[in-house]
Amino acid sequence: MMGQNHGQIRVIEAFLAIFIIFSALTISANLVTKSVSPQTDNSLASIGMQALLQLDSDGSLAAYITAGNWSGLREALNLLLPTGVIFNLTIYDSQMRQINTETISNGGSKSQEITLVRYVCTSQSCEFCVYVIYLCLAVAK
Amino acid sequence: MPAVSIDTFFACSLMVLLVLSAMSATARILQPLVNTMASHEAAQRFGEIAKHVLLHAGRPADWGQDGQTVPEEFGLADAVAESPYALDVDKVSRLNSENIYCLSYAQIFTSLRSPDLSFRIEIKPVFNVELNLTSVIQDSDETIYMFQAATKRDEGSPVSTSLKAFVLAENLLRAYTLQNTGGRVDFNITVPTSLESPALLVVFAKSTCNSRIVSYSVYPLTVQGGLFPRGAFLKLSPINHTLIVKPTSSGAVLTGAYALTFNGLWQLTQTGSNTFRIPEFTDASPTVLMVFGLDSTRHFAEWTVYPQIPIHAGVDFTSLRSASDVYAFEHLVSIGYGIYKCTIFIGGPKT
Repeated sequence: MMGQNHGQIRVIEAFLAIFIIFSALTISANLVTKSVSPQTDNSLASIGMQALLQLDSDGSLAAYITAGNWSGLREALNLLLPTGVIFNLTIYDSQMRQINTETISNGGSKSQEITLVRYVCTSQSCEFCVYVIYLCLAVAK
Repeated sequence: MPAVSIDTFFACSLMVLLVLSAMSATARILQPLVNTMASHEAAQRFGEIAKHVLLHAGRPADWGQDGQTVPEEFGLADAVAESPYALDVDKVSRLNSENIYCLSYAQIFTSLRSPDLSFRIEIKPVFNVELNLTSVIQDSDETIYMFQAATKRDEGSPVSTSLKAFVLAENLLRAYTLQNTGGRVDFNITVPTSLESPALLVVFAKSTCNSRIVSYSVYPLTVQGGLFPRGAFLKLSPINHTLIVKPTSSGAVLTGAYALTFNGLWQLTQTGSNTFRIPEFTDASPTVLMVFGLDSTRHFAEWTVYPQIPIHAGVDFTSLRSASDVYAFEHLVSIGYGIYKCTIFIGGPKT
Protein backbone atom coordinates (compact mmCIF):
# COMPACT_ATOMS: atom_id res chain seq x y z
CA MET A 1 0.00 0.00 0.00
CA MET A 2 2.84 2.38 0.91
CA GLY A 3 4.65 1.56 -2.37
CA GLN A 4 1.50 2.27 -4.43
CA ASN A 5 1.09 5.71 -2.72
CA HIS A 6 4.76 6.47 -3.43
CA GLY A 7 4.14 5.87 -7.16
CA GLN A 8 1.08 8.14 -7.22
CA ILE A 9 3.11 10.94 -5.62
CA ARG A 10 5.63 10.72 -8.47
CA VAL A 11 2.85 11.04 -11.06
CA ILE A 12 1.49 14.09 -9.22
CA GLU A 13 5.04 15.51 -9.14
CA ALA A 14 5.34 14.97 -12.89
CA PHE A 15 2.04 16.80 -13.55
CA LEU A 16 3.09 19.64 -11.25
CA ALA A 17 6.40 19.92 -13.12
CA ILE A 18 4.52 20.04 -16.45
CA PHE A 19 2.32 22.84 -15.11
CA ILE A 20 5.25 24.88 -13.78
CA ILE A 21 7.42 24.53 -16.88
CA PHE A 22 4.62 25.31 -19.34
CA SER A 23 3.51 28.34 -17.35
CA ALA A 24 7.13 29.56 -17.34
CA LEU A 25 7.30 29.10 -21.11
CA THR A 26 4.03 30.95 -21.63
CA ILE A 27 5.23 33.90 -19.57
CA SER A 28 8.61 34.03 -21.35
CA ALA A 29 6.89 33.88 -24.76
CA ASN A 30 4.88 36.98 -23.84
CA LEU A 31 8.02 38.74 -22.66
CA VAL A 32 9.68 38.12 -26.04
CA THR A 33 6.79 39.61 -28.03
CA LYS A 34 6.61 42.68 -25.78
CA SER A 35 10.28 43.58 -26.12
CA VAL A 36 10.97 46.98 -27.68
CA SER A 37 12.49 46.99 -31.14
CA PRO A 38 15.71 49.04 -30.91
CA GLN A 39 15.83 49.30 -34.71
CA THR A 40 12.56 51.27 -34.89
CA ASP A 41 13.71 53.38 -31.97
CA ASN A 42 17.02 54.30 -33.65
CA SER A 43 15.55 55.06 -37.06
CA LEU A 44 12.81 57.26 -35.55
CA ALA A 45 15.36 59.19 -33.50
CA SER A 46 17.58 59.55 -36.56
CA ILE A 47 14.85 60.87 -38.86
CA GLY A 48 13.57 63.22 -36.12
CA MET A 49 17.05 64.61 -35.55
CA GLN A 50 17.56 65.07 -39.30
CA ALA A 51 14.28 66.96 -39.65
CA LEU A 52 15.35 69.37 -36.89
CA LEU A 53 18.86 69.65 -38.35
CA GLN A 54 17.52 70.54 -41.81
CA LEU A 55 15.16 73.16 -40.38
CA ASP A 56 17.96 74.58 -38.24
CA SER A 57 20.62 74.65 -40.97
CA ASP A 58 19.31 77.94 -42.41
CA GLY A 59 17.97 79.31 -39.12
CA SER A 60 14.33 78.71 -39.96
CA LEU A 61 13.75 76.57 -36.84
CA ALA A 62 14.66 79.46 -34.53
CA ALA A 63 12.74 81.86 -36.80
CA TYR A 64 9.54 79.80 -36.34
CA ILE A 65 10.02 79.90 -32.56
CA THR A 66 10.90 83.59 -32.36
CA ALA A 67 7.85 84.49 -34.48
CA GLY A 68 5.61 82.10 -32.54
CA ASN A 69 4.70 80.47 -35.86
CA TRP A 70 3.61 77.16 -34.31
CA SER A 71 1.37 76.14 -37.20
CA GLY A 72 4.21 76.68 -39.68
CA LEU A 73 6.53 74.55 -37.56
CA ARG A 74 3.84 71.86 -37.26
CA GLU A 75 3.31 71.80 -41.04
CA ALA A 76 7.05 71.72 -41.78
CA LEU A 77 7.61 68.77 -39.43
CA ASN A 78 4.53 67.03 -40.78
CA LEU A 79 5.96 67.34 -44.28
CA LEU A 80 9.50 66.27 -43.43
CA LEU A 81 8.73 63.32 -41.17
CA PRO A 82 7.61 60.08 -42.83
CA THR A 83 3.92 59.32 -43.09
CA GLY A 84 2.64 57.43 -40.08
CA VAL A 85 4.99 59.09 -37.61
CA ILE A 86 3.23 60.94 -34.81
CA PHE A 87 5.13 63.79 -33.22
CA ASN A 88 4.75 66.13 -30.29
CA LEU A 89 7.13 69.04 -29.96
CA THR A 90 7.78 71.06 -26.82
CA ILE A 91 10.08 74.07 -26.76
CA TYR A 92 11.77 75.42 -23.65
CA ASP A 93 13.95 78.47 -23.07
CA SER A 94 17.34 78.31 -21.34
CA GLN A 95 15.55 78.38 -17.95
CA MET A 96 13.51 75.32 -19.05
CA ARG A 97 10.24 77.29 -19.16
CA GLN A 98 7.89 76.13 -21.87
CA ILE A 99 7.67 78.61 -24.74
CA ASN A 100 5.13 77.17 -27.16
CA THR A 101 1.67 78.38 -26.29
CA GLU A 102 -0.01 75.86 -28.60
CA THR A 103 0.38 72.12 -28.88
CA ILE A 104 2.73 71.35 -31.76
CA SER A 105 1.55 67.89 -32.69
CA ASN A 106 -0.06 65.99 -35.55
CA GLY A 107 -2.29 63.80 -33.41
CA GLY A 108 -2.30 61.53 -30.43
CA SER A 109 -0.72 58.11 -30.26
CA LYS A 110 -1.57 55.10 -28.16
CA SER A 111 1.84 53.61 -28.89
CA GLN A 112 3.94 52.69 -25.88
CA GLU A 113 7.14 53.01 -27.90
CA ILE A 114 7.92 56.72 -27.81
CA THR A 115 11.28 58.05 -28.93
CA LEU A 116 12.58 61.31 -27.52
CA VAL A 117 14.89 63.58 -29.49
CA ARG A 118 16.52 66.43 -27.59
CA TYR A 119 17.86 69.31 -29.66
CA VAL A 120 19.35 72.67 -28.75
CA CYS A 121 19.17 75.52 -31.22
CA THR A 122 20.06 79.18 -31.12
CA SER A 123 18.49 82.14 -32.84
CA GLN A 124 20.40 83.74 -35.69
CA SER A 125 18.97 87.19 -35.03
CA CYS A 126 20.69 90.04 -33.16
CA GLU A 127 19.23 88.89 -29.85
CA PHE A 128 20.92 85.66 -28.76
CA CYS A 129 18.41 83.08 -27.54
CA VAL A 130 18.83 79.42 -26.72
CA TYR A 131 15.97 77.02 -27.24
CA VAL A 132 15.79 73.47 -25.93
CA ILE A 133 13.54 71.30 -28.08
CA TYR A 134 11.99 68.01 -27.00
CA LEU A 135 10.57 66.08 -29.94
CA CYS A 136 8.58 62.97 -29.02
CA LEU A 137 8.03 60.52 -31.87
CA ALA A 138 5.94 57.40 -32.19
CA VAL A 139 4.75 55.19 -35.01
CA ALA A 140 0.98 55.39 -35.57
CA LYS A 141 -0.77 52.08 -34.91
CA MET B 1 5.34 -6.44 -12.21
CA PRO B 2 4.49 -4.52 -9.04
CA ALA B 3 2.21 -1.47 -9.39
CA VAL B 4 4.87 0.87 -7.96
CA SER B 5 7.25 0.00 -10.83
CA ILE B 6 4.56 0.77 -13.42
CA ASP B 7 3.86 4.11 -11.70
CA THR B 8 7.59 4.94 -11.57
CA PHE B 9 8.03 3.99 -15.27
CA PHE B 10 5.01 6.12 -16.20
CA ALA B 11 6.31 9.11 -14.21
CA CYS B 12 9.82 8.82 -15.67
CA SER B 13 8.41 8.63 -19.21
CA LEU B 14 6.33 11.73 -18.53
CA MET B 15 9.40 13.56 -17.26
CA VAL B 16 11.44 12.60 -20.34
CA LEU B 17 8.60 13.71 -22.62
CA LEU B 18 8.30 16.91 -20.64
CA VAL B 19 12.00 17.72 -20.95
CA LEU B 20 11.97 17.02 -24.70
CA SER B 21 8.87 19.14 -25.30
CA ALA B 22 10.29 21.92 -23.10
CA MET B 23 13.53 21.95 -25.13
CA SER B 24 11.59 22.06 -28.37
CA ALA B 25 9.33 24.87 -27.14
CA THR B 26 12.28 26.87 -25.81
CA ALA B 27 14.05 26.55 -29.17
CA ARG B 28 10.92 27.70 -30.98
CA ILE B 29 10.49 30.69 -28.67
CA LEU B 30 14.13 31.76 -28.72
CA GLN B 31 14.68 31.32 -32.47
CA PRO B 32 12.91 34.60 -33.46
CA LEU B 33 14.78 36.42 -30.71
CA VAL B 34 18.12 35.08 -31.97
CA ASN B 35 17.12 36.01 -35.54
CA THR B 36 15.99 39.48 -34.37
CA MET B 37 19.34 40.06 -32.68
CA ALA B 38 21.21 38.93 -35.81
CA SER B 39 19.04 41.11 -38.07
CA HIS B 40 19.35 44.01 -35.60
CA GLU B 41 23.14 43.78 -35.83
CA ALA B 42 22.92 43.67 -39.64
CA ALA B 43 20.50 46.63 -39.66
CA GLN B 44 22.81 48.60 -37.38
CA ARG B 45 25.81 47.88 -39.60
CA PHE B 46 23.95 48.73 -42.80
CA GLY B 47 22.53 51.87 -41.16
CA GLU B 48 26.06 53.02 -40.34
CA ILE B 49 27.11 52.36 -43.96
CA ALA B 50 24.13 54.41 -45.23
CA LYS B 51 25.05 57.26 -42.87
CA HIS B 52 28.69 57.04 -43.94
CA VAL B 53 27.67 57.46 -47.59
CA LEU B 54 25.75 60.65 -46.73
CA LEU B 55 28.18 62.15 -44.19
CA HIS B 56 31.48 61.31 -45.89
CA ALA B 57 32.78 63.24 -48.92
CA GLY B 58 34.68 60.26 -50.31
CA ARG B 59 38.21 60.23 -51.71
CA PRO B 60 39.13 62.42 -53.49
CA ALA B 61 36.75 64.79 -51.72
CA ASP B 62 35.92 66.62 -54.97
CA TRP B 63 35.38 63.54 -57.16
CA GLY B 64 32.03 64.88 -58.34
CA GLN B 65 33.44 67.89 -60.16
CA ASP B 66 35.64 66.02 -62.63
CA GLY B 67 33.77 63.66 -64.91
CA GLN B 68 36.81 61.46 -65.43
CA THR B 69 37.48 60.90 -61.72
CA VAL B 70 36.28 57.63 -60.22
CA PRO B 71 36.24 57.79 -56.41
CA GLU B 72 38.51 55.46 -54.44
CA GLU B 73 36.12 55.79 -51.51
CA PHE B 74 32.46 56.49 -52.07
CA GLY B 75 30.71 59.35 -50.29
CA LEU B 76 28.11 61.90 -51.40
CA ALA B 77 28.61 64.67 -48.83
CA ASP B 78 29.59 68.16 -49.88
CA ALA B 79 33.22 68.56 -48.77
CA VAL B 80 32.78 72.24 -47.85
CA ALA B 81 29.31 72.09 -46.31
CA GLU B 82 28.84 73.46 -42.80
CA SER B 83 25.91 71.28 -41.82
CA PRO B 84 25.58 67.48 -41.87
CA TYR B 85 23.56 65.64 -44.51
CA ALA B 86 24.42 68.26 -47.14
CA LEU B 87 25.12 66.48 -50.42
CA ASP B 88 27.27 67.65 -53.30
CA VAL B 89 25.23 68.66 -56.34
CA ASP B 90 27.74 67.11 -58.78
CA LYS B 91 28.16 63.82 -56.89
CA VAL B 92 24.39 63.44 -56.85
CA SER B 93 24.15 64.26 -60.58
CA ARG B 94 26.77 61.62 -61.36
CA LEU B 95 24.45 58.94 -59.97
CA ASN B 96 21.89 59.70 -62.68
CA SER B 97 22.13 57.44 -65.73
CA GLU B 98 21.20 60.38 -68.00
CA ASN B 99 24.53 62.03 -67.17
CA ILE B 100 27.39 61.02 -69.48
CA TYR B 101 29.70 61.01 -66.43
CA CYS B 102 27.43 58.69 -64.47
CA LEU B 103 29.21 56.19 -62.21
CA SER B 104 28.47 52.58 -63.00
CA TYR B 105 27.16 50.21 -60.34
CA ALA B 106 30.50 48.36 -60.41
CA GLN B 107 32.42 51.60 -59.77
CA ILE B 108 30.25 52.52 -56.80
CA PHE B 109 30.34 48.94 -55.49
CA THR B 110 34.16 48.88 -55.61
CA SER B 111 34.52 52.29 -53.97
CA LEU B 112 32.04 51.36 -51.24
CA ARG B 113 34.45 48.60 -50.12
CA SER B 114 31.78 46.31 -48.69
CA PRO B 115 31.80 43.21 -50.88
CA ASP B 116 28.97 41.43 -49.04
CA LEU B 117 26.22 43.92 -49.79
CA SER B 118 24.23 45.35 -52.66
CA PHE B 119 22.56 48.74 -52.63
CA ARG B 120 20.14 51.18 -54.21
CA ILE B 121 20.11 54.96 -53.75
CA GLU B 122 16.95 56.99 -54.36
CA ILE B 123 16.87 60.77 -54.07
CA LYS B 124 13.69 62.67 -54.79
CA PRO B 125 11.79 65.78 -53.68
CA VAL B 126 9.80 65.59 -50.43
CA PHE B 127 6.61 66.02 -52.47
CA ASN B 128 5.66 65.66 -56.13
CA VAL B 129 4.14 68.05 -58.66
CA GLU B 130 1.69 66.30 -60.97
CA LEU B 131 0.49 68.12 -64.08
CA ASN B 132 -2.66 66.91 -65.81
CA LEU B 133 -3.78 68.41 -69.10
CA THR B 134 -7.55 68.68 -68.72
CA SER B 135 -8.43 70.24 -72.06
CA VAL B 136 -7.08 72.11 -75.09
CA ILE B 137 -8.92 74.88 -76.91
CA GLN B 138 -7.47 75.88 -80.25
CA ASP B 139 -8.42 78.94 -82.28
CA SER B 140 -6.79 80.68 -85.19
CA ASP B 141 -4.34 82.77 -83.12
CA GLU B 142 -3.79 80.99 -79.82
CA THR B 143 -4.03 77.60 -78.25
CA ILE B 144 -5.28 77.48 -74.67
CA TYR B 145 -4.06 74.59 -72.53
CA MET B 146 -5.99 73.93 -69.31
CA PHE B 147 -3.99 72.21 -66.60
CA GLN B 148 -4.54 70.94 -63.11
CA ALA B 149 -1.47 70.96 -60.89
CA ALA B 150 -1.52 68.69 -57.85
CA THR B 151 1.18 68.86 -55.18
CA LYS B 152 1.18 65.81 -52.95
CA ARG B 153 3.39 63.40 -51.09
CA ASP B 154 4.08 59.86 -52.29
CA GLU B 155 1.18 58.43 -50.30
CA GLY B 156 -1.19 61.08 -51.69
CA SER B 157 -1.63 63.64 -48.89
CA PRO B 158 -1.91 67.17 -50.35
CA VAL B 159 0.77 69.81 -49.78
CA SER B 160 0.04 73.54 -49.76
CA THR B 161 2.46 75.32 -52.08
CA SER B 162 3.32 78.47 -53.96
CA LEU B 163 3.70 77.68 -57.65
CA LYS B 164 5.48 79.37 -60.53
CA ALA B 165 4.65 78.14 -64.01
CA PHE B 166 6.76 79.09 -67.02
CA VAL B 167 6.04 78.44 -70.67
CA LEU B 168 9.26 78.61 -72.61
CA ALA B 169 9.91 78.27 -76.32
CA GLU B 170 12.63 79.69 -78.52
CA ASN B 171 11.02 83.11 -78.82
CA LEU B 172 8.46 82.90 -76.08
CA LEU B 173 8.44 83.25 -72.30
CA ARG B 174 5.30 83.40 -70.21
CA ALA B 175 5.25 83.26 -66.42
CA TYR B 176 2.32 82.55 -64.09
CA THR B 177 2.22 82.79 -60.29
CA LEU B 178 -0.21 80.43 -58.58
CA GLN B 179 -1.27 79.73 -55.03
CA ASN B 180 -2.31 76.26 -54.05
CA THR B 181 -3.76 75.91 -50.55
CA GLY B 182 -5.54 72.59 -50.85
CA GLY B 183 -2.87 70.77 -52.86
CA ARG B 184 -4.68 71.32 -56.17
CA VAL B 185 -5.01 74.28 -58.54
CA ASP B 186 -6.37 74.77 -62.06
CA PHE B 187 -4.73 77.15 -64.48
CA ASN B 188 -4.65 78.02 -68.18
CA ILE B 189 -1.73 78.84 -70.41
CA THR B 190 -1.83 80.31 -73.89
CA VAL B 191 0.61 79.60 -76.67
CA PRO B 192 0.52 81.18 -80.16
CA THR B 193 -0.81 78.65 -82.67
CA SER B 194 1.82 79.72 -85.18
CA LEU B 195 4.68 78.74 -82.83
CA GLU B 196 7.16 76.54 -84.69
CA SER B 197 9.52 75.77 -81.81
CA PRO B 198 8.52 73.18 -79.22
CA ALA B 199 7.36 74.71 -75.94
CA LEU B 200 7.93 73.41 -72.43
CA LEU B 201 5.76 74.05 -69.41
CA VAL B 202 7.94 74.12 -66.28
CA VAL B 203 6.25 74.30 -62.88
CA PHE B 204 8.18 74.93 -59.66
CA ALA B 205 6.52 74.47 -56.26
CA LYS B 206 7.65 75.68 -52.86
CA SER B 207 5.96 74.57 -49.67
CA THR B 208 4.15 77.45 -47.99
CA CYS B 209 5.50 76.40 -44.58
CA ASN B 210 9.17 76.26 -45.63
CA SER B 211 10.64 77.68 -48.84
CA ARG B 212 13.47 75.09 -48.89
CA ILE B 213 11.03 72.22 -49.43
CA VAL B 214 10.72 72.34 -53.21
CA SER B 215 9.70 70.30 -56.19
CA TYR B 216 9.25 70.71 -59.94
CA SER B 217 7.70 69.20 -63.03
CA VAL B 218 8.22 69.66 -66.77
CA TYR B 219 5.50 69.08 -69.36
CA PRO B 220 6.31 69.20 -73.10
CA LEU B 221 3.54 70.91 -75.05
CA THR B 222 2.47 69.51 -78.41
CA VAL B 223 3.15 72.06 -81.10
CA GLN B 224 3.82 71.93 -84.83
CA GLY B 225 6.17 69.07 -85.69
CA GLY B 226 4.96 66.87 -82.85
CA LEU B 227 6.75 65.57 -79.77
CA PHE B 228 10.09 63.79 -79.66
CA PRO B 229 11.36 61.61 -76.83
CA ARG B 230 13.96 63.11 -74.48
CA GLY B 231 17.49 62.54 -75.73
CA ALA B 232 16.45 62.17 -79.37
CA PHE B 233 18.69 65.07 -80.41
CA LEU B 234 20.96 65.93 -77.48
CA LYS B 235 22.19 64.44 -74.23
CA LEU B 236 22.53 67.09 -71.54
CA SER B 237 24.95 66.53 -68.65
CA PRO B 238 25.41 69.24 -66.02
CA ILE B 239 28.59 68.96 -63.96
CA ASN B 240 30.68 71.49 -62.02
CA HIS B 241 28.35 74.34 -63.05
CA THR B 242 28.90 73.53 -66.71
CA LEU B 243 26.30 72.13 -69.07
CA ILE B 244 27.85 69.64 -71.46
CA VAL B 245 25.80 69.05 -74.58
CA LYS B 246 26.44 65.85 -76.53
CA PRO B 247 24.53 65.64 -79.85
CA THR B 248 22.85 62.29 -80.48
CA SER B 249 21.67 63.38 -83.91
CA SER B 250 24.34 64.31 -86.50
CA GLY B 251 22.50 67.33 -87.88
CA ALA B 252 21.59 69.02 -84.59
CA VAL B 253 22.41 72.74 -84.41
CA LEU B 254 21.97 74.61 -81.11
CA THR B 255 20.06 77.89 -81.16
CA GLY B 256 19.83 78.77 -77.45
CA ALA B 257 20.34 77.50 -73.91
CA TYR B 258 18.51 78.70 -70.80
CA ALA B 259 18.44 78.11 -67.07
CA LEU B 260 15.13 78.40 -65.25
CA THR B 261 14.57 78.54 -61.47
CA PHE B 262 11.62 79.50 -59.29
CA ASN B 263 12.77 83.13 -59.45
CA GLY B 264 13.36 83.54 -63.16
CA LEU B 265 15.11 82.78 -66.44
CA TRP B 266 18.73 83.24 -67.49
CA GLN B 267 20.36 82.73 -70.85
CA LEU B 268 23.42 80.50 -70.55
CA THR B 269 26.80 81.73 -71.75
CA GLN B 270 28.51 79.43 -74.23
CA THR B 271 32.06 78.64 -73.08
CA GLY B 272 33.02 76.04 -75.70
CA SER B 273 31.65 74.35 -78.81
CA ASN B 274 29.21 72.29 -76.74
CA THR B 275 29.55 73.69 -73.22
CA PHE B 276 27.61 76.35 -71.37
CA ARG B 277 28.32 78.00 -68.00
CA ILE B 278 25.56 77.47 -65.40
CA PRO B 279 25.32 80.44 -62.99
CA GLU B 280 25.49 79.70 -59.24
CA PHE B 281 21.97 80.41 -58.04
CA THR B 282 20.95 80.90 -54.41
CA ASP B 283 17.49 79.56 -55.17
CA ALA B 284 16.25 76.50 -53.30
CA SER B 285 14.53 75.12 -56.37
CA PRO B 286 16.45 72.89 -58.77
CA THR B 287 17.63 74.57 -61.98
CA VAL B 288 15.89 73.38 -65.13
CA LEU B 289 18.26 73.64 -68.10
CA MET B 290 16.79 73.86 -71.60
CA VAL B 291 18.49 73.79 -74.97
CA PHE B 292 16.67 74.67 -78.18
CA GLY B 293 17.91 73.74 -81.62
CA LEU B 294 17.26 72.76 -85.16
CA ASP B 295 17.79 69.35 -86.75
CA SER B 296 17.60 69.84 -90.55
CA THR B 297 14.10 71.43 -90.65
CA ARG B 298 12.77 70.16 -87.32
CA HIS B 299 12.84 72.36 -84.22
CA PHE B 300 13.57 70.58 -80.98
CA ALA B 301 13.87 71.29 -77.26
CA GLU B 302 15.83 69.20 -74.77
CA TRP B 303 15.91 69.68 -71.03
CA THR B 304 17.50 68.41 -67.87
CA VAL B 305 17.69 69.54 -64.27
CA TYR B 306 20.61 70.43 -61.99
CA PRO B 307 20.93 68.54 -59.61
CA GLN B 308 19.70 65.67 -61.79
CA ILE B 309 16.96 64.40 -59.54
CA PRO B 310 15.00 62.17 -59.12
CA ILE B 311 17.67 59.50 -58.88
CA HIS B 312 17.18 55.74 -58.82
CA ALA B 313 20.64 54.20 -58.85
CA GLY B 314 21.61 50.64 -58.03
CA VAL B 315 19.95 47.26 -57.73
CA ASP B 316 16.21 46.84 -58.14
CA PHE B 317 15.40 44.79 -55.05
CA THR B 318 11.78 44.05 -55.92
CA SER B 319 12.72 40.69 -57.48
CA LEU B 320 15.51 39.92 -54.98
CA ARG B 321 13.62 40.22 -51.68
CA SER B 322 13.45 36.44 -51.25
CA ALA B 323 17.18 36.04 -51.89
CA SER B 324 18.55 38.68 -49.53
CA ASP B 325 17.57 40.74 -46.50
CA VAL B 326 16.91 44.29 -47.62
CA TYR B 327 16.96 47.27 -45.25
CA ALA B 328 15.75 50.76 -46.17
CA PHE B 329 17.17 53.86 -44.49
CA GLU B 330 15.33 57.11 -45.05
CA HIS B 331 17.19 60.39 -44.63
CA LEU B 332 16.53 64.07 -45.16
CA VAL B 333 19.31 65.72 -47.10
CA SER B 334 20.01 69.15 -48.49
CA ILE B 335 21.34 69.61 -52.01
CA GLY B 336 22.19 73.21 -52.75
CA TYR B 337 19.55 75.16 -50.82
CA GLY B 338 16.75 72.61 -51.20
CA ILE B 339 15.68 69.76 -48.91
CA TYR B 340 15.17 66.33 -50.46
CA LYS B 341 14.37 62.80 -49.35
CA CYS B 342 17.07 60.17 -49.76
CA THR B 343 16.41 56.47 -49.26
CA ILE B 344 19.28 54.03 -49.25
CA PHE B 345 18.37 50.36 -49.64
CA ILE B 346 21.04 47.89 -48.59
CA GLY B 347 20.74 44.18 -49.18
CA GLY B 348 22.86 41.64 -47.35
CA PRO B 349 23.01 37.86 -47.10
CA LYS B 350 19.77 36.31 -45.91
CA THR B 351 19.91 35.38 -42.20
